[in-house]
Amino acid sequence: MASTQIKAQLNDLLNSMFAMDFLDEQFKQLQMLEDGSCPGFISEVITIFCDDAERILSLITELLSKPVVDFEKVDAYVHQLKGSSSSVGAKRVALVCIKFRNVCQENDKEGCMATLYEIRREFDELNKKFRTMLQLEQQIQALDSKR
Amino acid sequence: MAAAADLALEEALPAGIRVLVIDDDRISLKVVCIMLKKCGYEATQCSSGKEALEMLTQYEGEFDIVLTDVHMPDMDGFELLEKVGLGMDLPVVMLSEDSSRETVVKGINHGACDYLIKPVQIEELKKIAVHVLTWRNANSSIDSDLIED
Repeated sequence: MASTQIKAQLNDLLNSMFAMDFLDEQFKQLQMLEDGSCPGFISEVITIFCDDAERILSLITELLSKPVVDFEKVDAYVHQLKGSSSSVGAKRVALVCIKFRNVCQENDKEGCMATLYEIRREFDELNKKFRTMLQLEQQIQALDSKR
Repeated sequence: MAAAADLALEEALPAGIRVLVIDDDRISLKVVCIMLKKCGYEATQCSSGKEALEMLTQYEGEFDIVLTDVHMPDMDGFELLEKVGLGMDLPVVMLSEDSSRETVVKGINHGACDYLIKPVQIEELKKIAVHVLTWRNANSSIDSDLIED
């Protein structure tokens, strides 16, 4: 299979991610940064982001499961996640983080649980798409290098 | 006109500038450093205020400008700004998602020479070289005044 077909698939995936606000302008900025001088920059950033997000979500889940919730700590983690998702251009995740900080600041445990569920859903969806993106890129590189 | 300004900047700072970047968010840190590299600047990463002060003390004179996040767990950007302002002769630019007026004004009042809102664009990072020049010019005129006395 020629890499052109896979490139088209990758393009379609990216376009739909932009169209559905999974990704925003910031991600385009990152795409422009990747070139000969720093190849693999995007896959590195995406991988770090997904690992960090996974870790933060687990920590938040743990904090919210306690009988007395340390909302300050939860807020600090959400703040971190919001920062990294904005840096990567993960728009939908960043937006839910803003919502999360509001319920946190009101010390609203139920609200936090519901918003955590929402972030989980958004992040899992994004994570799946990112993994597909990286797989397609790897396939393209493999095919192109064979030429 | 923009191109002429870029050229003037390059001529004034042929060796580029050396930036110390401080942010507890490793993604933001990575992205900003790559952007600085693309601008032709040298970037050193730091993930806490404490680490930054150690670096600045040990390698004083090896940095031209400090770029720091505002909200960090161990030491916030304002505290760092004060300490750098007290002990060291370096311009500091603050970086934050917090675009609230009070925080921006607080930053400028604490001595920051600029305040950039995250996520930062590469065009804005290019301009930090201007602050290095302004700082140098301001300080060299102070030095020459002292010599005259």
